[in-house]
Amino acid sequence: MSIANFHPNDLLAILPELALVVLAGVIMTMDIVLAENRKRLLGLTTAVGSFVIIAAAVIFSQPNGELIWGGMISNDMVAFIFRLVFIFAGGITALLSVDVKGVAHKGDYYAIILGAVVGMCFMALAADIIMLYLAVETTGIAGYVLAGYVHRSSRSAEAGLKYFLFGAATSAVMLYGLSLVYGFTGETNLTAIASVLASGKVGISVILASAILILVGVGFKIAIVPFHFWAPDVYEGAPTPVTGFISTAAKTAGFAVLIRVFITGLTASEYWLPILVALAALTMTIGNLLALAQKNIKRLLAYSSIAHAGYALVAFVALSELGVAATVFYLMVYVITNLAAFGVVILVSRSGAGEEIAGYAGMSRRSPYLALAMLVAFLSLAGMPPLAGFFGKFYVFAAAMKAGLVWLALVGVLNAIIGLYYYLVVLKVVYVSPPQEGALAIEVPRAYSFALVILSVGIVLLGTAASPWFEWALSAAQGIF
Amino acid sequence: MTAELIIFVLLAVIAVAAALGMLLSSNAIYSALFLVVNFGVVATFYLLLGAPFIAMVQVTVYAGAIMVLFLFVIMLLGAERLRHPNQVLSWQQPLAVVLVMALLGFAGYVVSMQGLASPPVDVANTVSYGSPAAIGELLFREYLFPFEATSLLLLSAMVGVVVLTAVDARRGVSRGVSRDRRS
Amino acid sequence: MIPTTYYLALSAILFSIGVIGVLVRRNAIVIFMSIELMLNSANLAFVAFAREFGTLDGQLMVFFVMTVAAAEVAVGLALIVAIFRSKASIDVDAVNLLKG
Repeated sequence: MSIANFHPNDLLAILPELALVVLAGVIMTMDIVLAENRKRLLGLTTAVGSFVIIAAAVIFSQPNGELIWGGMISNDMVAFIFRLVFIFAGGITALLSVDVKGVAHKGDYYAIILGAVVGMCFMALAADIIMLYLAVETTGIAGYVLAGYVHRSSRSAEAGLKYFLFGAATSAVMLYGLSLVYGFTGETNLTAIASVLASGKVGISVILASAILILVGVGFKIAIVPFHFWAPDVYEGAPTPVTGFISTAAKTAGFAVLIRVFITGLTASEYWLPILVALAALTMTIGNLLALAQKNIKRLLAYSSIAHAGYALVAFVALSELGVAATVFYLMVYVITNLAAFGVVILVSRSGAGEEIAGYAGMSRRSPYLALAMLVAFLSLAGMPPLAGFFGKFYVFAAAMKAGLVWLALVGVLNAIIGLYYYLVVLKVVYVSPPQEGALAIEVPRAYSFALVILSVGIVLLGTAASPWFEWALSAAQGIF
Repeated sequence: MTAELIIFVLLAVIAVAAALGMLLSSNAIYSALFLVVNFGVVATFYLLLGAPFIAMVQVTVYAGAIMVLFLFVIMLLGAERLRHPNQVLSWQQPLAVVLVMALLGFAGYVVSMQGLASPPVDVANTVSYGSPAAIGELLFREYLFPFEATSLLLLSAMVGVVVLTAVDARRGVSRGVSRDRRS
Repeated sequence: MIPTTYYLALSAILFSIGVIGVLVRRNAIVIFMSIELMLNSANLAFVAFAREFGTLDGQLMVFFVMTVAAAEVAVGLALIVAIFRSKASIDVDAVNLLKG
């Protein structure tokens, strides 16, 4: 394939990414120009810019399902949904950062977030292993910097180093897997790879070996067992808005790659599917069981996010249109819900109450609206109707049942019950435990209440009116089968 | 044929020995220097494989820039020696053994398996194969998009490095320097 | 001509040494060098495969991997320097503020 048949529409297709890069440039310039006391505008501009870009993308960049730019990227609906989710997560993260010490008034911080968002968009778009590897690394490098951003705090620097060492090592393993894929098919384009594999010329062991090696790299990104060791430490040590960003957007980007590589590329699913099924069950169970014992809210959310990757994987291993649609929908829900949860965590730790769950005692009496946002987010994470999390889990388990994986769906339901328990324990602290002596109301700046309102409305909307969103995800899934 | 094989085996032995040297040295400087040897040998392999341009980039970027950066940081931090060179986490050693056995088993399997997709084409003698012109043409035609994407990667890495190594301007540079000295 | 499989075997051995280094060494800089060795062995496989098929895509991939490696090295070493400033240790086990 060659770039010779270039069409101006190809530029329109990557308009969101181009706009994000321009926005990053604008932010860096504003950082120099603005006076110190007006630096709050940086985060607000990033957020507003992101939302404008989402609107522009919906109007101008509707996907046509074609391979463009010489076959490097696939302009299809799955990529489109994922990109909107990433840009949304980036915007909300910026909004949630505007009053956080250490990151709030730094133009380069927002610029790197935007860089990471573009990397994630490329991960969703990539249709070629070269593009895929580059995208994974772009996201990774930006992520390492963000995790270690407050490097004068040794916790943050250590989180950055740990994230970096795990990320670099696993992506090197993934690269080796990609080299095997290239070597035994002779192609770099995922669609072409699939057609070579379909011809049956490539041996089982080679497919299996490369699938496992690639899974190491992707497994790190989505933090599934046994590649989850980094997650709790990095989530705890990184600045909280970054934790929210990494645990939602970066994880979702990993799933985008999973869908691309394992459904579009390595179509010989009978070899690698059992591994993924086992990992899905293990990830849910281990994530939830470890979450039970946590006293620190960020670590609790870290383990719970491991478990949520497991649920999304349950839908994925159904390997059907319904399954992919359920994965995409679940991730949309998860991103919105988890960002809301982290928004509350940021506000509470800003108020000086720390990150221990005990510090949330009596929050309902100190700040009833904030407690309500937390209630909505945690009940949605737990999967209670009528919130979005319920329908996310409903579609996931339905997809698994339909694919004949009844036992996996059952494991998932049992896990959802364990999950419900520890989310309710936190809510009990918030609503029932008496507040500490002299505890004041938690200050909620307007940017944060705006973000939390958007997210809470989103959670309720994706729950009460789930079907149009799910139809959207389904139309995306139909595009890749 | 045999002469080429002898050269290959000799170079391969050097490459593996250098890699093992990197792994086993307790002094990080030696590790880095062993790695430079390994990278140099791999560059020679690239020449044998008909990739002169990649060989050149390997020497300048990898052996040159990257390893110099490594050596620079090791010397800057004075981090040559470890306090407990042989201390390893208990569960990691068996895991390493298992993984490596699996990998080497796979390597053995690949070697024993004679036919790949097609017999090797003798491209090393074709002048245009792997030349900078051929690479450049491919890079700016088919791979234009990834090429542009690398600019973003390099830019965010650059901004990131500046951020990560910046010394707090308000507290003054002197503080950062004194902290370095204490360490 | 040396068969491609010989190169593959060599690259697998180098990759294994890199994996051992990542898993058993405790010095962050040495772990990092082991990662570079892993990348390098993957590169060798790519170039060998490229010759196998008589195409240049594998070589292009190596070109991109080197770019990525350079960026990664810069960020990684910056993180190591940042940590060293605050703790004066790059022993990974000494990074124990956060539990494993």
